[in-house]
Amino acid sequence: MRQRILRCVVSFHTTAGAMAAERLCRREELEGKLISVPRSVTSDCGLAWSAPPGLRETLERRFREAGIEAAGFHELAL
Amino acid sequence: MKENTFARRYGLIILAGIVAGAAALILTAAGNPKNMGFCIACFERDIAGALGLHSAVKVQYIRPEIPGIVLGATLSALAFREFKARAGSCPASRFVLGLFVMIGALVFLGCPLRMVIRLGGGDLTAVAGLLGFLAGILVGIVFLKKGFSLGRAYPVKRGESFVLPAVMLGLLALLLLAPGLLRFSQEGPGSMRAFWPVSLAAGLAVGFIAQRSRLCMAGGLRDAFLLRDFTLLAGFLAIWVTVTVGNLIIGNYNLSAVSQPIAHSQYLWSFLGMALAGWGSILLGGCPLRQLILAGEGNGDAAVTVLGMVAGAAIAHNFGLAGSADSAAEGIYTVGGIGAAGMAAVIIGFAVLLAVSLLHLPGKEEA
Repeated sequence: MRQRILRCVVSFHTTAGAMAAERLCRREELEGKLISVPRSVTSDCGLAWSAPPGLRETLERRFREAGIEAAGFHELAL
Repeated sequence: MKENTFARRYGLIILAGIVAGAAALILTAAGNPKNMGFCIACFERDIAGALGLHSAVKVQYIRPEIPGIVLGATLSALAFREFKARAGSCPASRFVLGLFVMIGALVFLGCPLRMVIRLGGGDLTAVAGLLGFLAGILVGIVFLKKGFSLGRAYPVKRGESFVLPAVMLGLLALLLLAPGLLRFSQEGPGSMRAFWPVSLAAGLAVGFIAQRSRLCMAGGLRDAFLLRDFTLLAGFLAIWVTVTVGNLIIGNYNLSAVSQPIAHSQYLWSFLGMALAGWGSILLGGCPLRQLILAGEGNGDAAVTVLGMVAGAAIAHNFGLAGSADSAAEGIYTVGGIGAAGMAAVIIGFAVLLAVSLLHLPGKEEA
């Protein structure tokens, strides 16, 4: 048994989108990590970015500015 | 918030692996070839033969497992409101990738699913295929990290999403209502088949649960290498364990590198064939089984990939590219494998995959 914590999960249309998000967040020292996109989000088996919920607005803005197209932002207990 | 995360995370995918493994054992017991209860590549090749797309007389039959998988995925996606009409992600490139994934698989004599089933029967010749598959996936991951992408799919009209499920219904209709139009093997692997309702039911069950669980041989290894996430890999391992245990119980387990059913011992070309299939599967975003599931969910790009794989099967047998099995007759053991044409096709396949990989990297302005 382990504690589940709330995360902001960002899904993408392509694996390349998730990889680009990872590169951007690493470069800008934004906390988070790549995960397999949760089953509750989609039946696709791509990658997603998991970050603290407090970063949602920052991520939305930075991804938009960098031209990284997110498929959706989801708050999930992981 | 505390809960048993193991069951939540791994329960469904392990169940999917058990269902797929059990289905393979049942189909073999019911008449399918040994260590080939399920094989997406072999069964699509048999379907191509039944339709007269190639003339290899030993591998011709409309395998109901393939329509079953697609339609099972369609039913599941419709039931859980996940059926989405999408397309437009480099369909021509996907067709070509599907074609070479099929050629690689037929050089090895099996898709990634059959590779696991062969391993579960004790077939040590499949180890070369497994190592090749791992190597191909690692090469694919290198290109993913460099930004490889076939681009996103877009919503399309609903009719597009039903194309492959409709084709599959058509194949079933041909088998049941107009078999005289089809070719049926009288000997060889194509002549070994379970009674069609058993095959169809097994396909439907595997398609349904694979859609729910996202079972994928290539995706499991990609996530394990890239993310240290072993969720999808658990399904891959569950198939292996289920088939191994089942074969041990029914006495079909034969741990050996010789005289394995429909397998050859040209290890280098088994390795390279599955490396081609693994690399191509990563570029496509899923193994041949996963392409059927995605097509069943309404993905037109996956449907094009499946058609590419069928074309690849026809090409493989029309041009003598596919592997032939080792055989023993009158006390003489003959090593099978592929000829010069098959070797050339694998090398061309690597060149094509390299070209597709490089041509779909981001430009300087996108990097």
